[in-house]
Amino acid sequence: MGVKAYFMINMKGGGNGHADALADLEAMPEVEFVAPVSGQYDFMVKVDAPTGVVQVANKILEKEWVKHLDVLKIEPHIPKPFLEEVCSIPSGESINWCAQCGMCSASCPNVAQMDYSPRKIIALIRAGKREQVLTSNTMSVCASCYLCTARCPEEVKITELMHALECLAVRHGLRGGRTPTTIMHRAFTESIKKNGRVHEVGLMFRFYLRTNPFAALRLSTVGLKLFSHGRMPLRARKIKGIEQIKAIIDKAQALGGA
Amino acid sequence: MKYYSYFPGCSLEATAVAYGLSTKAISGPLEMELIELEDWNCCGSTPYSSTEDLEAICIAARNLALAEKTGLDLVTPCSSCYCTLSRANSQLREYPELRDKVREILAAAGLEYKGQVRVRHLAEVLFNDIGLEFIKSKVVNPLSGLKVAPYYGCQLVRPTGFDDPENPQSLDLLIATLGAEATPFPLKSRCCGGSLIIPEMDLALGLIHQLLESATTNGAQCVATVCPLCQTNLDAYQGIVNSKFKTRYDLPVLFFTQLLGLALGIAPKELGFDKNIISAERVLAPFTTAARSVRET
Repeated sequence: MGVKAYFMINMKGGGNGHADALADLEAMPEVEFVAPVSGQYDFMVKVDAPTGVVQVANKILEKEWVKHLDVLKIEPHIPKPFLEEVCSIPSGESINWCAQCGMCSASCPNVAQMDYSPRKIIALIRAGKREQVLTSNTMSVCASCYLCTARCPEEVKITELMHALECLAVRHGLRGGRTPTTIMHRAFTESIKKNGRVHEVGLMFRFYLRTNPFAALRLSTVGLKLFSHGRMPLRARKIKGIEQIKAIIDKAQALGGA
Repeated sequence: MKYYSYFPGCSLEATAVAYGLSTKAISGPLEMELIELEDWNCCGSTPYSSTEDLEAICIAARNLALAEKTGLDLVTPCSSCYCTLSRANSQLREYPELRDKVREILAAAGLEYKGQVRVRHLAEVLFNDIGLEFIKSKVVNPLSGLKVAPYYGCQLVRPTGFDDPENPQSLDLLIATLGAEATPFPLKSRCCGGSLIIPEMDLALGLIHQLLESATTNGAQCVATVCPLCQTNLDAYQGIVNSKFKTRYDLPVLFFTQLLGLALGIAPKELGFDKNIISAERVLAPFTTAARSVRET
């Protein structure tokens, strides 16, 4: 997302070929909308100008039917405030109801290990502390047990909020694999992207290879027991519709956001 | 006969293979036809919705779209699949903008989801559709005197569930229906750590320790679970808990379907008891011999 700008455009030849000119403008990828106007100008155009307003204006001026172009207004790109960003995610809007009672923090089985309790996380979001929230370990030690959600008297969807914050942290590159939980999550999603299903042996192998291969030693007894009880198939299964999974992911990435 | 679309989930083909075996084994005697959803994919679970939420919902929705074609309710024995698929379903219902986006994305894969599938957990189906009365009528090998800790875990009862989110009773009642005794279990709906056992092992071990302690001190001879993750954490990691906390737990952790199958007179082998790491042989000995003789007669 870049700067937005509004242009006013005059046509040559007193407005002949108005419909063609309209179509010509609408076909430009930078153009968000075109409004035909009457009076001194023929069109008002809103453009998205990621590489600069001048470049887009020049591109329009190159068209042989354009006589004159004036810049009406330039809107600088202002990043969304953190609270607004959180509220725009499904379930994120529920933090507006938070009364800071602390029931979530009191209910959380893992609160002792968190940098900030769930109640504090909500307070920090409201205070706009994006980096402080997104670099904290709070989301990484949430086990998604939903006890906070079940007990919240204001129906704030706290567990969903934790997932959403984790996604935002990944999107902003604010942890990008700095906590073991994020690395595990990534290995998990890679398994789905590749096979359509999760292969538990492969998942654990990738996780320990990327974090601490020696930690796997502590687990070797667990692995052996699972294996000897027929609970760890070594081969990964691939679904037939893996192309559908790929098409879904490509399209979701093209549309972006949640 | 009642018909359902069946979503086993990835764990039932690996760490929870006994859950899959026992679910299949009980379906016949309980007159349920579980038709496996053709070419299902992983639900995405918590890890996907904590990485890229839009992709996560679409991945889950592929299964919902496939299930919708069957016209049947989608039943899963896995609490995590249940939670994830229900969540996708309710998000798509609640947020129209998201729904439009997801529809456009599914269309790119030639799929369509109208939003007409009901996602259900196997335990809820047994309780509400099959019914305790009917199950009772099929019990040929009552598990008399067996003390079982009913372990619901989290995602069967929260955030949406068919039972009380903190003091559920359905599994207690089911255990009693089988002739066994459900012990008091104050931590019955508390967390085992779930998939945090991989990245945050010590944290999860602490939770598992508390659960084993609560079950044991209340006199349970075994634990009955409804979730593949709970079973693996309490069963496969019990040894590590013992060495970390200097304890000596030797508590079998069974899928509720295994106990149910035993009471229905199904042979232990078909119920996957050999897959359990903490052997249930000693505790279940009086009933496994009975199951064999019931079956032979």
